[in-house]
Amino acid sequence: MASSATETTKESSTSGSGSGDNSETKDEEKKDDSMFECNICLDTARDAVVSMCGHLFCWPCLHQWLETRPNRQVCPVCKAAISKEKVVPLYGRGSTKQEDPREKVPPRPAGQRTEPDPATAGFPGFGFGENGFHMSFGIGAFPFGFFTSTLNFGEPRPGAAPRGTQQHLEEQFLSKVFLWLAVLFIFWLLMA
Amino acid sequence: MAGMSPSERRLQKELMSLVKEPPPGVSVDPDIAERNLLHWIIDIRGAAGTLYEGERFQLQFKFSNKYPFDSPEVTFVGQNIPVHPHVYSNGHICLSILTDDWSPALSVQSVCLSIMSMLSSCKEKQRPPDNAFYVKTCNKNPKKTKWWYHDDSV
Repeated sequence: MASSATETTKESSTSGSGSGDNSETKDEEKKDDSMFECNICLDTARDAVVSMCGHLFCWPCLHQWLETRPNRQVCPVCKAAISKEKVVPLYGRGSTKQEDPREKVPPRPAGQRTEPDPATAGFPGFGFGENGFHMSFGIGAFPFGFFTSTLNFGEPRPGAAPRGTQQHLEEQFLSKVFLWLAVLFIFWLLMA
Repeated sequence: MAGMSPSERRLQKELMSLVKEPPPGVSVDPDIAERNLLHWIIDIRGAAGTLYEGERFQLQFKFSNKYPFDSPEVTFVGQNIPVHPHVYSNGHICLSILTDDWSPALSVQSVCLSIMSMLSSCKEKQRPPDNAFYVKTCNKNPKKTKWWYHDDSV
């Protein structure tokens, strides 16, 4: 839609006379402006926020409306349920510096962003490297229980505690104890 | 437009667009509204093909300085008050968007269109059943009335 509109303007500006295309571009600028008008004050939205239903407002305007009817908070345009927490601020380039400080209005809700998941490390606990070799002790059907616990099949384990902390030392100690226990157990099995 | 209150700013914008591109059947005298931006008189014409075809009515809009967060006070005024089940003979209108269902995204133009559509969908010209009692007892300001919106058909 937008591209076809610009195309027609370009065509008319190449073929038409000077005065004609001036007014046309002005009209188009006007249309562009009104696309970003706040639905409440009808001015170009300042401190713009968008509701989940997609309607644009100035944050001060929308805030005032939500304060007006605290019990029944609906979108002024489409009457969808709306709340302060569920509006998205729009950050244009250089929009923050020109705003005048509005003491009465609480600050516009901040945008929410979540960090992408860190790449999960290959096979946790299956190497004797940094992340620690865990030895655990359990009683079960002998060969299977032994294999699963040693080779860490199934659920990934939580990573080892950082080096130098009390927990790290304790874990190292426990790991050694269980290793010795396991060795003794196997020795006993072989002897018996 | 500097030095205006937010409500006047918005009313000025609405007036300009209404004068420039009035919807069919609606006209506003820019001078009357310009003398006092908080008080407008709007002429509307009954739509063709309806019971009110050819009739002319006058709507009075009074705005508070909380507009558009506060709804305007809208009544029929003048000689001809439409005979309609939701319009009292004193000009008060029973229309939910004028009180409970008001939204700041509505405008003078959308209110006019709602009222015209309310008139247009009327099947039989009659006053509300409690007209005599209401007109005797009501407040001058229709917004003070506790309206009971029950009939969505007209």
